[in-house]
Amino acid sequence: MNVIEAEDLTKVYRRYIKPEGIKGSLKGLFRREYEEKAAVSHVDLCVEEGEFVGMIGRNGAGKTTLVKMLTGIIAPTNGSIRVLGYYPNKLEKRFRQQYALVMGQKSQLFFELTAGDTLHLFKEMYHLSEKEYEKNRDYFIELFGIKDLMDVQVRTLSLGERMKMELLAALLHNPKILFLDEPTIGLDAVAGMQIRKYLKEVNRERKTTILLTSHYMEDIKSLCGRSVVINHGTKVYDGSTEQLFERYQNNKKITLVFDSLTEIEIPEAFAGKCRILDDNGYKKVYEIPKEDSGGILEYFMRYKPRDISLDEEEIGKVVERIYSDVRVRA
Amino acid sequence: MKKYLEVAKVYLKVKLMWRADLIFGFISIVMKIIFASLLWGVIFRDKETVAGFMQNSMMAYYLLSAFFTQIDISEKISGDITLGIRNGTFTKYMAVPMDTDKYFLAMEAGSILPHIVLDVAAIFLIGLVFGIKIDITSDVAIILCALLIAFLGLLFMAQLSYFLGILTFRFEEISTFLMIKQNIMALITGSIIPLALLPEMVVKCMQILPFYYTAYLPSMLLIGRNGEEAVGGMFVMLGWNLGIWLLSRNVYSRYRVKYDGAGI
Repeated sequence: MNVIEAEDLTKVYRRYIKPEGIKGSLKGLFRREYEEKAAVSHVDLCVEEGEFVGMIGRNGAGKTTLVKMLTGIIAPTNGSIRVLGYYPNKLEKRFRQQYALVMGQKSQLFFELTAGDTLHLFKEMYHLSEKEYEKNRDYFIELFGIKDLMDVQVRTLSLGERMKMELLAALLHNPKILFLDEPTIGLDAVAGMQIRKYLKEVNRERKTTILLTSHYMEDIKSLCGRSVVINHGTKVYDGSTEQLFERYQNNKKITLVFDSLTEIEIPEAFAGKCRILDDNGYKKVYEIPKEDSGGILEYFMRYKPRDISLDEEEIGKVVERIYSDVRVRA
Repeated sequence: MKKYLEVAKVYLKVKLMWRADLIFGFISIVMKIIFASLLWGVIFRDKETVAGFMQNSMMAYYLLSAFFTQIDISEKISGDITLGIRNGTFTKYMAVPMDTDKYFLAMEAGSILPHIVLDVAAIFLIGLVFGIKIDITSDVAIILCALLIAFLGLLFMAQLSYFLGILTFRFEEISTFLMIKQNIMALITGSIIPLALLPEMVVKCMQILPFYYTAYLPSMLLIGRNGEEAVGGMFVMLGWNLGIWLLSRNVYSRYRVKYDGAGI
């Protein structure tokens, strides 16, 4: 069953074009020129119950605008949209009762109080019985390992701890859909990994449909069976995450750190494939096609680096590649 | 209803977190009373009455109107809403199953409670220490009317602040509206001088406006004056409350859907 059905969804923003300087400001008092910008353009999207969908795109691609339309915060300019059978922007309470929204850079919690105080409010807000409240709260406290943090003022929590609290507050009423907008932004590797683990568990155990937007490859790769790529407001890919990365994530980034000044000669076999991104003698960063990464890594080991890291290609490049591919095919 | 009660409780808890804020709030009202006592003491040194007020009545009026003005902290509502809409945090009120207007009214109720307790305590304390006698009417019906009008006044002010706040959906910048409200308030609430000192014609005009009933009329009723205006005052305030509620609902539903929220 589809819990989200959107067809030809478009959101056009109108923005004021202000000429530079005082003269421009004065002119703007009498006459203003506006331009229209399509933040989301003709997007079709269907999400089935229990799916974990990732939305990828660069800053300003339209991911957050799409989430805002799906949650009813803003109205679409055109197109049809049904979420859990409701038109979101009507903001019916019965609809808002059934989903949760977590935005990485915005908080639902009261910073001066403890998370427990906010949870009491959420209990009443979502009409949870004492039994249901305690059951859900204890389940997530156990899952997130945050028992000791429940009586601590939210503003004294670390970003990772706060995000766990945000998730706990959002999941307390067992929402049918969880919208996550950049939930791991600013988190360190360990905290990010923990959040991913919990989200996976929530999706699997509670069958919660999750729609996630993220800049981080790792979030999408490890969590979402399906990915939707948005570029300039348009959907450029909608399908299996595995196939997406298999096809478009072509390169790996290798970083080598040495104790002394080191010169590396790239062998003939990799010449033309291996691109130097940074080199200060002690630290070298290379970009290499992923099928050659094993071979060149073996070669680099001869130089006895102190540290090596192998990273995925940035999400922006993958999106750009998909976009170019789509344009060429079009 | 229970969820709004919980909102009020949360904001009460937030207020109680800031101990210094509460202490300085208490000190400020104490200082205000002492200053007023000295000032009116000087004015009444050579006179028995000023504009028909004895010194005790004048002090009672001053303290009561200061109390009603001080406990109105509704301005925060407009501030929170306008900031929320402009930086995108208003989404947190839209994405939860609550009416935003009721949420902010509950927030006001929770935030106001510590102020009421501290202000009443300050008035009693100063009255005891400095022997300031406050003449209050003994007519229970008038006292109840005054308290009801004061409550409706607070409710109106909270609703007005909410209304001005949501105008951000339409105008984005509302500081001019807030400034105009401030200026009108300062004169019409009688917090600067008792309105009885103004020409009758001016007072008659002011009686149409709700601000007359937020601090001035409840204070006058409590010191045993203007009793004939009590019942009318209640109806006027009920009307204003209903009017602003309908207007806010209409503005919210109309402009919320037009709001872009671009870039937030």
